[in-house]
Amino acid sequence: MIKPIKIGALAIAGALALAACSGGSDSAGGDALVVGTDLPLQGASADASKSTNEVAALVLEQAGGKAGDFTVEIKEYDDSTAAKGAWDDAACAKNAQDHVANTAEVAVMGTYNSGCAKIIIPVLNQAGMLMISHANTYPGLTIEWDMGEPGLYYPSGARNYARVIAHDGFQGTAAAQFLFNEQGVKNLAVLDDTQAYGIGISDAVQIEFEKLGGTVFRGSWDAKQTQGYTNTFEKIKASGATAVYYGGIFDNNGVQLVKDKTAVLGDNTAFLAMSPDGFSGYPTLREMPEAEGLWMTFAGKSLDGIKKGGGAPAKFVEDYTAKYGNEPNSSYAMYGGVAMQVILKAIAASDGTRQGVLDAVFAGEQICLTAEESISGMGFCLNQETGDVDTVTMTLQQMTGGVETDIKTLDIK
Amino acid sequence: MSNTAPAHTSVSGNRKWAIGFTSAVAFFFILNKFILPEAGSGVQKFFNAWFSLTSMAEIMIWIVMALGLNIIVGYAGLLDLGYVAFWALGGYIAGWLMSPFFSSLQINFFGNPRPGLDFGIHFHVFLVLILGGVFTAIWGVIIGGPTLRLKSDYLALVTLGFGEIIPQFMLNGADIAGHNVTNGAQGIGGLDDVNLFGYVIGTFALPEKFLMVSVLAGAMIFFSIRLRDGRLGRAWLAIREDELAASMMGVPLWRTKFASYAIGAVGGGIGGVGFAILVGGVYADRFNFVISIIILAMVVMGGMGNVWGVVVGAVTLAWINSIGLIQIGELVNNSFGTNINFPSYQFLLFGLLLVLMMLFRREGFIPEARIRMVMNEDKFEDEEVVSDETKIGHH
Repeated sequence: MIKPIKIGALAIAGALALAACSGGSDSAGGDALVVGTDLPLQGASADASKSTNEVAALVLEQAGGKAGDFTVEIKEYDDSTAAKGAWDDAACAKNAQDHVANTAEVAVMGTYNSGCAKIIIPVLNQAGMLMISHANTYPGLTIEWDMGEPGLYYPSGARNYARVIAHDGFQGTAAAQFLFNEQGVKNLAVLDDTQAYGIGISDAVQIEFEKLGGTVFRGSWDAKQTQGYTNTFEKIKASGATAVYYGGIFDNNGVQLVKDKTAVLGDNTAFLAMSPDGFSGYPTLREMPEAEGLWMTFAGKSLDGIKKGGGAPAKFVEDYTAKYGNEPNSSYAMYGGVAMQVILKAIAASDGTRQGVLDAVFAGEQICLTAEESISGMGFCLNQETGDVDTVTMTLQQMTGGVETDIKTLDIK
Repeated sequence: MSNTAPAHTSVSGNRKWAIGFTSAVAFFFILNKFILPEAGSGVQKFFNAWFSLTSMAEIMIWIVMALGLNIIVGYAGLLDLGYVAFWALGGYIAGWLMSPFFSSLQINFFGNPRPGLDFGIHFHVFLVLILGGVFTAIWGVIIGGPTLRLKSDYLALVTLGFGEIIPQFMLNGADIAGHNVTNGAQGIGGLDDVNLFGYVIGTFALPEKFLMVSVLAGAMIFFSIRLRDGRLGRAWLAIREDELAASMMGVPLWRTKFASYAIGAVGGGIGGVGFAILVGGVYADRFNFVISIIILAMVVMGGMGNVWGVVVGAVTLAWINSIGLIQIGELVNNSFGTNINFPSYQFLLFGLLLVLMMLFRREGFIPEARIRMVMNEDKFEDEEVVSDETKIGHH
């Protein structure tokens, strides 16, 4: 029979012996400052996260591994579990504590998911630690949105979180204005995918479209709905809508959604369709004939836009391709590099302490990246009151010949 | 081989395990509260990597969940594939009663709202735990109702449906007849810090949080053992072994099954409240079918019906899922210069483990005596036949 007391005693003795024998020096990095990256490394977002980590590492490598006088190292954290195949609230809570516990860590780059950021920001906030996200687009993280937001995430009363990408409010607004003003749509169907990102961006489209004087038919599509969405599109047809907006992520059964839309309402010439950047970067979508003519927005510069823009950003993509054998997996990966650039700039302007790095962003001189410096080719400054970028570049794309083609960019101040 | 253990041996075994559990909890609490802060960074790194206190606290929650399901599956023999629903209900009770979510209200009953966030409902954590347990028990009875006439596959399907309905309700509950009930996919954040008699367990009070959820797990262990040994527990076991025979012996089937659902659900409710407090919020994304299956696997692999077996199953699987596979992967990669993403093979390894367990140890790590007998019925019969033949040969 197993003897639990003996097992417990043995474990305790072993652990204490180990503790007694271990030295007191920090073997991990010595005096180097650590920047944690916090991304979902399992599941559907794993490839994008891997690419983001690689871009961030290359940014640091090209800076000579230094920020000012400080040597900097990256430590990767995984906020997902294989069991969920996506970000996990418990993993996010654990990572938040681990970031704080790592005394050499001065800032965090991430997270990818806004839900995870909601858990991590308040913990880092109480530890006075900087967090810069490249992908969180939920508006309430930085501006008034739901009741109590954004104060809910900043228990200390001071800000510690910023992001280098525009929130959904901008993307939703841009989409609504494009459809109403440029395409003449007055009756719009808005479908969300029942997820946080999808609902947030759909809300933003609906609010702006109604503000412009349009009528909105609101519905949703659930990824688990295996019987398809023909009923939903029949309802849209009956509502008198002349365009549909897919507020969500293509991963969520987008193939079926796009097919059913074409089957019921016709192709994208007969019945206009538009999506946010949750539909960009998917080879499967590009290969679908039903996707031809689909309008899309991307909250920033697309990878193609960055390459075509030339200069240092295009050179960075070339360097990345030479080092890793392929281009960055998504445009978000490039923005991961931009977030790392901001963090390095903050460290360089600091005294090397957490508070110093935080103050470099939210106090004193404003942190800015010029269009020449930024690997996205987009210059901006971080608003010290909200943590949002002061200049938003929105790319309008259309699927033509199986390619997401840039139509134009909009600089929104 | 003895088929039944004397009562005093069982009590003594329980005592040994209880001492082992308490010692382990005390060890990790003392280590993290007093020793590690003063220890060298190498030691800190080792324990943070392999036995992170946040993960250990999460493991305690899994123990509570697994023991709750063990009452339904292990004791009463009612297959439940939707246990995650009770976790969700418990979590949302904490979200509703310990946060600024219902912003039009301002109710504070010995709660501990954060500065500037005193709107909403703020109940004391003890009250929330009790209400979480009661609320899920009521839902246990509600789900128990339509399933009382069902068995095996049919019962599993109904519970599966329940496990899908509740999380979907939480996910889509941002607009129920114009009312925001669950905040939908955004979840409910900003939960109050726990205030125990003036002692606030803040964000970074990890040892205290660990101790708090360990007490919940300890309580669940205690009540599980006491219930099993009591009249109700014996009735559950009788139903599990043979429902018809149990009813012929006077066991009230409906009442006993209702009780198993209600009391089993309490584990989900209490665990759900504890988990929401640990995470600082409740998010509908968590409550998917896989979680129900993982909890069921903890019960089956640990040893259905055996409290300590289930505890071992929960600790093992939760640790592997949380940090074990990552650390083992790093160890292997660093030792052999490989670059294998171990966590991505989790379900392969998990599946392999399940297959091996079912082939070679169907009764679980530490099986309950009756389950072991049932699982090895053929073996026992063969042994008896061989024994009888040997006797005949000798004669």
